[in-house]
Amino acid sequence: MRALKILTAAVCILVCQMISTDAKAWWMWSPGDTVENSTQSMIGSGYHPDQPIDFPHNIHAGNLKMDCQYCHSAARRSQSAGVPPLNTCMGCHKIVATDKDPIKYIAEKYKRNEPVEWTKVHDLPDFVRFSHKPHVLAGFTCQECHGPMQEKVTAAQHAPLQMGWCIGCHKDNLDKGAKISCNTCHY
Amino acid sequence: MERLEFDELDKLSEQKEVFAPDATFEAPVKNIGKGHLFMAVEEVMPEIGATDLEVSGEIAESKGKGYPIARRDVMRLFSASAILGATACVKRPAEKIVPYVNQPIDFAPGNPVYYATTCNECPAACGVVVKTREGRPTKLEGGPEHPVSQGALCAIGQASIQSLYHPERHKSPLFQTNGHAKELSWEAAFDRIGAIVKGSKKVGIITKGSTGSQRKFYAEFLTKIGSKSENVFTWDANGLYSSISEAHRLAFGVEGLPRLELARASTIVGIGSDILDVGTSVVYHSKGLSQALSIKGLEKGELVQFEAVMSLTGGRADKRHVIPVGSELATTLLLVRALHEKTAAKGSKGARAVIASVLDANKGALDQAYDVIGVKKEVFEALAHKMLEKPSVLVAGGTASFDENATSLQVAGIFANILLGAYGSILNFDKGWSASPVKAGDMKRFVEASPDLDVVFVIGTDPSFSLPASYGFSEALTKVKTIISIQNFPAEVDRLAEFILPADHYLETWGDEEPVSGFLSIRQPAVRTTVNSRQPEEMLMWIAASAGAPMGYADYRTYLSAQWKSYYEMAGAKVDYETFVKAVLRRGFIGKLDTRTVGDLIDVKISLTLPESGLKLVAPFDHRLRDGSFAHIPILQEVGDGMTTIAWDSWIAINPNTCRKLGLKRNDVIRVEGPGGFFEGAVFPLPGLHPDAIVAPRGNGHTDKRSTISNGVGFNPLAAFSKAEDKVTGQPVTSGQKVKLSLVGKTYRLAAMQKHHDIGNRSDIIRTTSLATLANEGREKDLDSVPDLYPDILQRGDYRWGMSVDLSKCTGCGACMTACSLENNVAQIGREQILLGREMHWIRLDRYFNGEVDSPGVTFQPVMCQQCNHAPCEAVCPVLATTHDDEGINAMTYNRCVGTRYCGNACPYKVRRFNWWTYKWNTMGEKERDRNIKALNPDVTVRTRGVMEKCNFCVGRLRDAKLSAKERSKEFGREFRVQDSDVKTACQQTCPSDAITFGDLKNPGSGISKLRRDPRAYLLLGGFPEEKEYGLKTMPNVSYLMKVGADNESVAGSEGTQAPKHG
Repeated sequence: MRALKILTAAVCILVCQMISTDAKAWWMWSPGDTVENSTQSMIGSGYHPDQPIDFPHNIHAGNLKMDCQYCHSAARRSQSAGVPPLNTCMGCHKIVATDKDPIKYIAEKYKRNEPVEWTKVHDLPDFVRFSHKPHVLAGFTCQECHGPMQEKVTAAQHAPLQMGWCIGCHKDNLDKGAKISCNTCHY
Repeated sequence: MERLEFDELDKLSEQKEVFAPDATFEAPVKNIGKGHLFMAVEEVMPEIGATDLEVSGEIAESKGKGYPIARRDVMRLFSASAILGATACVKRPAEKIVPYVNQPIDFAPGNPVYYATTCNECPAACGVVVKTREGRPTKLEGGPEHPVSQGALCAIGQASIQSLYHPERHKSPLFQTNGHAKELSWEAAFDRIGAIVKGSKKVGIITKGSTGSQRKFYAEFLTKIGSKSENVFTWDANGLYSSISEAHRLAFGVEGLPRLELARASTIVGIGSDILDVGTSVVYHSKGLSQALSIKGLEKGELVQFEAVMSLTGGRADKRHVIPVGSELATTLLLVRALHEKTAAKGSKGARAVIASVLDANKGALDQAYDVIGVKKEVFEALAHKMLEKPSVLVAGGTASFDENATSLQVAGIFANILLGAYGSILNFDKGWSASPVKAGDMKRFVEASPDLDVVFVIGTDPSFSLPASYGFSEALTKVKTIISIQNFPAEVDRLAEFILPADHYLETWGDEEPVSGFLSIRQPAVRTTVNSRQPEEMLMWIAASAGAPMGYADYRTYLSAQWKSYYEMAGAKVDYETFVKAVLRRGFIGKLDTRTVGDLIDVKISLTLPESGLKLVAPFDHRLRDGSFAHIPILQEVGDGMTTIAWDSWIAINPNTCRKLGLKRNDVIRVEGPGGFFEGAVFPLPGLHPDAIVAPRGNGHTDKRSTISNGVGFNPLAAFSKAEDKVTGQPVTSGQKVKLSLVGKTYRLAAMQKHHDIGNRSDIIRTTSLATLANEGREKDLDSVPDLYPDILQRGDYRWGMSVDLSKCTGCGACMTACSLENNVAQIGREQILLGREMHWIRLDRYFNGEVDSPGVTFQPVMCQQCNHAPCEAVCPVLATTHDDEGINAMTYNRCVGTRYCGNACPYKVRRFNWWTYKWNTMGEKERDRNIKALNPDVTVRTRGVMEKCNFCVGRLRDAKLSAKERSKEFGREFRVQDSDVKTACQQTCPSDAITFGDLKNPGSGISKLRRDPRAYLLLGGFPEEKEYGLKTMPNVSYLMKVGADNESVAGSEGTQAPKHG
């Protein structure tokens, strides 16, 4: 009997391993999943992963009133809003606040020609094709989806990013050219 | 019948009369009968065919075999997955965002960057625009301004993305002794090779054909290290280049290939020609031929083909004559004779005297030739008469350029073209000719010179595979002490090499080509090297340096830059040289056609011997795999041969009547024994072949275990050939040797896709018409006026997308299938799955024959999702995964699909594809069933197991185009709509024959709107609306244009058959 249990367990482990080759495909279809190295759920708002440095959005966009698109300049031009390259940071931080630890960190990275690896916060499933460009062109502010970033330090997921939420807004903006056919986002 | 208009379905109840059985709502279905066409020879000759189930791909090879996983394992996977899901031990991976350190100016992540470069897969040198995303190429498209490619690209060019990211490329330099390979560092490799080169000086280079600076550089390298510059040996398995060039040297005293402007010709005669299969520049010639044969008012050009095999060129021909293998020279001379006798014939007195003397010398043979080739004298007379009336040209080649008369055939072709006056107008030999990338007889020269060589570099070519073993190349090569193989992919010649050096893919290198003299096409890297490879020319620089004879250039780009100086002077640019080069790189090409004076025809002799009868082996190039250099690319294997539709295999094509005579059936394995050896393969009865032709394509038969894609696929027919040479040039012969056949006693299923996704054989699938009918009855059509009970759904959105496919233009080349698969991340599934009928192509090519099996007409029909406005698939989906959008597109939502496959069953066009697995061939990944994400389009969802998919009109491209129109509207303050030039689907973009048109049907001026109103327009399975028979009434947004015959015959080559009843 015991041998049978061990055998079953072995089979389970084996199957687990077989599955792991397909795991990337698998998570796509399982709702309510959690993210690697985190206990937080990515579905729904509030997901707030750790980042290499605590970039203070509140100082840049809040106190200094810098335009969001000064750094996320691809938002109006591309599907992706873009995280700024280090040379954008170093444009100011060669001179400004060079004594602070986070700045020392990025200065060191810049010197070694190494990029900073940020953790993606707003991560849509791979079967959704979202583009920032039409939303910016239509005149939506960043805050409408990303929340009051000018008051936050690092980014947390503000909107639920679920389909009902997308469709709700699209339905309200049909006159602006928003579409609700499936292949607007799924193709 | 007036169109019935209803706002809502509810009101239908008030319209009861439309349901009355005696109402003249539409004519009863009586005319939509069985078509006169056939897809598989089984339909007309069941005695030589395989069973229906085998043909349609509904049974597996053998039970349980051929599946990646057994059924029970699937059950285990499902149950285990459920457990895993419940315990949440599968976590979604946290994705990283890695921005640049120094971002290039004007770059936005997510937006593509384009580079202009030049394709290097064949010497045609098409201009290519490479779309890159975040530094890696994702898609290739023909350069729209480039004069060679004119925006299009062939299947092979499209597929270079897969060879770039191929996981089995050489990864580091190797040193090989006694079959054991040891990795080397680049420095060690250069040092050791340099020392060897320094000690010997007897160095040679074998390289593939190129028209650019490369060969000059090789010669310079050889001189620098103390060897002879003549030791560059060029080899291209396509004998057309050397035979045409040598024939022109014999005829005019100057070498080169005339630039063939088919668009100016009215009648084109092909003698065994393969201009649409392989030829010398397949995209350029497809474009030209498409223009020449297009319908201009009530006239249309004509292609007449004489051939023994069944090529795509022959399939496209308006008239096709079947001649015996090896009789191409006799046929050409007969036509020359007929032309020469006409008073209207052109050509100088001197030239005509030369031609007359050749005709006189061969008079006896020519008189007998009519009976031998089986074409009557009157045919030639009539053809000669027609050709002299309007601008005409003769093109010869194909398998005939691999036989011993190859050069004589081209000389005879020159005679014909002189008499036609084609030189100077259609054939440009004095203005903008092409240099031959290969020198005739180079391999013969190498075999003779090999005892005197100590070191040989084999660069980017594989003669060990593409020459018959009996030719003795490998034996000659083994006499050389040190062999260095420089390849970007494992080649058969590597086995003999001491050093194997990984070369860059052409998308990673600098270079140039001169496809037409005076015209420079530039190659620049679109990506940094993806594996530890180097540019071959730079390797030679390093080797020269370590041999103590540095070449004096910093890198190959510096060398090229010096070569391009003359173009700077020619252009007379008012900027400095660096700026000039930058501008040229942006465009991809520069130049002005060179001119020269060419003298009159000089005395040249041809001796004609008539071919003997008996079974003869012909080994033409497979139009996708060519000489085998592309056999490792999965998409090219998967696309399938155009004529036989066989994928992932080699086959032996035999005329069906010969099969019956010899007692052979489809899939019987036979042994073909030639003078040089034998090979075994399965029989495929193919209509249209000469009864004596045994046709086995080249390209497959690799036995190298390092390439898992090509290893063990098919056979190499060159094994049967004995050593023979072209009588004039000494080029190796790989066509027309006598063979014996014997049954092996086995069967082997060829993965032919012809009857998979069969939509039946109704007369409203392929519709044909003639110029006379068009002139008399042709009037504008309104395909959308179909009496119909559903509410009108055509008018909702801003756009209504439509597509039109011209059956008169399609050549069956498969470029659209390749482009579609690469654009849309369509899986490649391999032979076993294709045998089950599971191929994934979103656009497939149906090939139909009509007429006699000995001389059939051929029609190709690309079938993609028809985007029906009344789609049967939408109605049956239980989860609303497939819906209609307001722009007429039948949308497929993958994440909703639960895989019931109801839609696939409901679809009358059989265009829906189901993912039975997460397919391993899609991947070319490191692991089985793992996808190589680099080779995927990041803008299209990758589908996994259990999901239905199909053509979506490249909806991602449409979205981008609409967005930029919106952006422009915002910028200029008035409304811009998407115009024809703003968006092209992947298949339309790459079509070398311009058969596909796409656009907005709501814009009455758009190209697609015009073609939908064209008198030739019809809907697939749409009945015969002119007789009030509306077929299935699915109301597709895709329409087809009827195929048109040249004269009053409605379909090509259908002598002896009746024209179809309709149209």
